[in-house]
Amino acid sequence: MNPNNKYTEQELVSLLLKQNDQAFSYLYDNYSPALFGIINQIIADKDIAADVLQDVFINIWKKISSYDDRKGRLFTWMLNIARNAAIDKIRSRPYQDNLKNQPLTENVNSVTANIVVNTQMNDVGLKRQVNKLKEDYRVLIDLSYFQGFTHEEISKILNLPLGTVKTRIRSALIQLRTLI
Amino acid sequence: MNIQEYISSGIIESYVMGLASNEEKAEFEQLCAQYPELKEARNNFELALEEQAKRNAISPPEGIKNRIWSAIQQGSVSNTPKIISMESTSTRRSSSLRWVAAASIILFLGAGYFAYNLYNKNKDLKSSNKDLEAQVNKMSEEQKVTHDPNATVVNLVGLKGSPSSANVYWDSTSANVYLIVKNMPLLPGDKQYQLWALIDNKPVDLGLFDPQNNDKVILKMKNTQKADAFAITIENRGNTGGPTLEQLQSMGKAKL
Repeated sequence: MNPNNKYTEQELVSLLLKQNDQAFSYLYDNYSPALFGIINQIIADKDIAADVLQDVFINIWKKISSYDDRKGRLFTWMLNIARNAAIDKIRSRPYQDNLKNQPLTENVNSVTANIVVNTQMNDVGLKRQVNKLKEDYRVLIDLSYFQGFTHEEISKILNLPLGTVKTRIRSALIQLRTLI
Repeated sequence: MNIQEYISSGIIESYVMGLASNEEKAEFEQLCAQYPELKEARNNFELALEEQAKRNAISPPEGIKNRIWSAIQQGSVSNTPKIISMESTSTRRSSSLRWVAAASIILFLGAGYFAYNLYNKNKDLKSSNKDLEAQVNKMSEEQKVTHDPNATVVNLVGLKGSPSSANVYWDSTSANVYLIVKNMPLLPGDKQYQLWALIDNKPVDLGLFDPQNNDKVILKMKNTQKADAFAITIENRGNTGGPTLEQLQSMGKAKL
């Protein structure tokens, strides 16, 4: 393909919908480093992160028809696919077993065990900014954004009322924005 | 609604970063369609986040691109939405009950399958738990025997070129005799090994045992208060007579 080609998000999406291979090539060349960076925030191991990146691009390719530009930018959509895929990976049984022989079950005790496990996450990208937040904000963003716990789960883990969890996450995000 | 207040409430960040609840999402999307300034604010945050991600980009390892592309082609992963013809409203209504019935059957089967899977998993866990428990019991018994300060260790060595070897742990105060089989060759099905204690030159039966596949097995043998030596012979299965001395495999003295 012509490396000078430049597509707008709209053009790119419509070409991807036509399964255009040049569009795939452009998509990968332009976005894979940013998405790989996102995955790396959650998974430090380069090989596993690369496997996740592969799944992410296959998913983008498969699900492009469900992308709705009224709801946000293409990159935002892809970023959330990447983040969710990385979280799914760290929560998967083989990953957990491999990490510390620490089984992940539904109860809160092992959820807290899982938090310890994930201190192995990289201090890169957004993570670095999050680490600048005050401790209770940092924990909330870490649990929700980087580990994918729901507000309800966090409320149980931290023994905080659900309403408090929600308002504190909002405040933490507002502060995080000033650091980006 | 005060849209400026809404904009600065953290909902934009929460929505874009995928942390909003379903109700919050629905409300946000509706308001975005209504208030261009909200949509613009969202777009600005999205761009900021995108820039941030690009500043922290990391090049993926070489070759991933080709790997993905061939996976896409081999798996013939298609991104075209499936075309499902819609029935007209009248027929849809009449068949809706059938759909409900079909859905409930699927749901029922699904639930059954799920329960069956759970049951099986539970069964597997139970049995592996039992195995582990047995293993732990065995190990702690072995630990107890081999660390018993009252126990005399008698090393039975193979005779006449027999590779067989075993240790007898004999506690003369409790009279307990344990045999730790280190290496006893497998025997034909009608034969068994037999442990003897020699007391005043007379053999006393301490029990028959089968050679084990996995090495280092601990066997509790018959008790004896006295013993000058221990010996192992090969006998017919279930032997009730005396030892066949020609088949003496290994022997060890209990006293120095």
